[in-house]
Amino acid sequence: MSSESDRFSTGIAGLDTILGGGVFEGGIYIIQGAPGAGKTILGNQICFAQAAQDRHALYITLLAESHARMIGHMRRLAFFEEAAIPDRMSYVGAFKTLEDDGLRGLLEVVRREVRTRKASILVLDGLITVHEKARSDLELKKFIHELQTQAAFSNCTMFLLTSASDAQAFPPEHTMVDGLIELQSSLHGRRAERDLQVHKLRGSWFMGGRHSYRIAASGISVFPRIEALLETPSVWDRADGPVVSFGISGIDAMLGGGVDTHSVTVVLGPSGSGKTTAGLQFLCGGPVDEPAMWFGFHENPMALTIKAEALKLPLKARGDSISLLWRPQTEAILDEVATEMLTAIKARGVKRLVIDGIDGFSKLTDEKSRIGSFLSALCNELRALGVSTLATAETDHAGITPGQPLAGVNQTGLSAVAENIIALHLAALRSETYRLMTVLKSRDRRTDMRMRRFDIAESGIVLESDHHGAENILRDLSRQGAPPPPSPDPKLTGE
Amino acid sequence: MRTVLIVEDEWAIADWLEVLLGENGYNVLSAGNGREALDILHRETPDLVLTDFMMPFVDGAGLIAAMQEKSATRDIPVVMMTSLLESVVRDRVIGYRAYLRKPFREAELMKIVREILAE
Repeated sequence: MSSESDRFSTGIAGLDTILGGGVFEGGIYIIQGAPGAGKTILGNQICFAQAAQDRHALYITLLAESHARMIGHMRRLAFFEEAAIPDRMSYVGAFKTLEDDGLRGLLEVVRREVRTRKASILVLDGLITVHEKARSDLELKKFIHELQTQAAFSNCTMFLLTSASDAQAFPPEHTMVDGLIELQSSLHGRRAERDLQVHKLRGSWFMGGRHSYRIAASGISVFPRIEALLETPSVWDRADGPVVSFGISGIDAMLGGGVDTHSVTVVLGPSGSGKTTAGLQFLCGGPVDEPAMWFGFHENPMALTIKAEALKLPLKARGDSISLLWRPQTEAILDEVATEMLTAIKARGVKRLVIDGIDGFSKLTDEKSRIGSFLSALCNELRALGVSTLATAETDHAGITPGQPLAGVNQTGLSAVAENIIALHLAALRSETYRLMTVLKSRDRRTDMRMRRFDIAESGIVLESDHHGAENILRDLSRQGAPPPPSPDPKLTGE
Repeated sequence: MRTVLIVEDEWAIADWLEVLLGENGYNVLSAGNGREALDILHRETPDLVLTDFMMPFVDGAGLIAAMQEKSATRDIPVVMMTSLLESVVRDRVIGYRAYLRKPFREAELMKIVREILAE
């Protein structure tokens, strides 16, 4: 029976997480994927991670690229360590042996080389060739069975790399090995996305479903699906703590003093309504030494700094206590971006966070059905980490419909993630455009839900002390006439 | 006709070397690893050995060490063909005549083969 102490890390943090803590010593695992999926890189990366721990790794190739080319390619990746070859990492070719002496000859090479080199990890690259060489399914099963015996007796963990096989839905070797990891690539529009899926892992829980991975100069990075990773938050949500200031006194007053420490506040509004300004004031609204972070998809740090200076906000003066992270929505991966954000929050002990453009997450994936559970898991984690979060979201409806302050705003997707929802509106009255604000929701707090007119002054957002100004604008708007309300904005609901 | 023994576990490279050397007028022997090469050296005396470093059963270092133990093979020149840095090879084995870093070009190989066999 395997125990946790028999496990070791693959050297790839995200993959270890999906595997429930790594792989078992003496186990046999198949890594399957189409050409170009990254099997060879993954195999090498696992080997070099072990070599870095002073263990011995052996890479046996059958019909694969030449060792010189493979080493040449691996040399460009960060995990490659020239000094590890040949003592801690060695490459041997065994195709000729397989050709001449069949599966028995190959088994002999494996047995001898594992023993001679004291290998604790073996990668056999080209299992498909063994498949083709085997005269029957039974012969292949016997080969895998003998490998299992060798792996167990020599305590050598084996990874068998193979191309995806369409010929058989359930190849015989799949039933015998201890684990099966599949690497896949798919096109979404013109964008290629890579997914990793663990189909089987004997003796352990594992995180099912597909998870994104990326191949970069550092090698392979795997990003567990956030909603699976944070199915329950990583720490217990104590859900206590004082009320904290929003950073705008008028909003604090409307919310009965501020927002809860462990809370998420969504500020909705059309372009130009003041969301970023509200976010900057929230960011700078805490104690001077409180770590705060801006995570934005839109404006870069320089633009934000200039904007904060124009508003006389102490962004620069706060120095390292405020960090600005910018993540353009180009080729980013949803779970990678979220992981990056959470890692930074934990590393810096962030207590106040602004996510500028929470709808930006939904633009990072074509799987819109994920967004609801993704945001829910993410926000639960932020609460559990004791972070006061403000997230901005852009709505398409720029105007306001008298009598219907919620027109154009779909709350369905937001209720689950946000304790507080604040809507900003633009009201065009004759030649003037006015800004209005409503608190649409404030969970478990006494809230003044009457609309306020506000301006963005030199020092930022300033609300009128009562609702009369907003009342007058709405009255005049109804006299002027307004366009019919639009249909709900689907961006935040994942529809 | 001069004889060259190729010791290479990567069949495609071994095939390519056999064809290349054959086309250049050499008699070619081929072994998939150091153990097979030592078997051949029991019955044949090639003029040159071209060997890989990392191979199953007996690697390039083991082959050279075994060759140096016997008077019949001690003086056969050996070219080490490997992806490893020469400093790594030099730390582990002595007694090879030349080093060729993989991947190499035909011309580089043939120049070394001709130079050694002309000596």
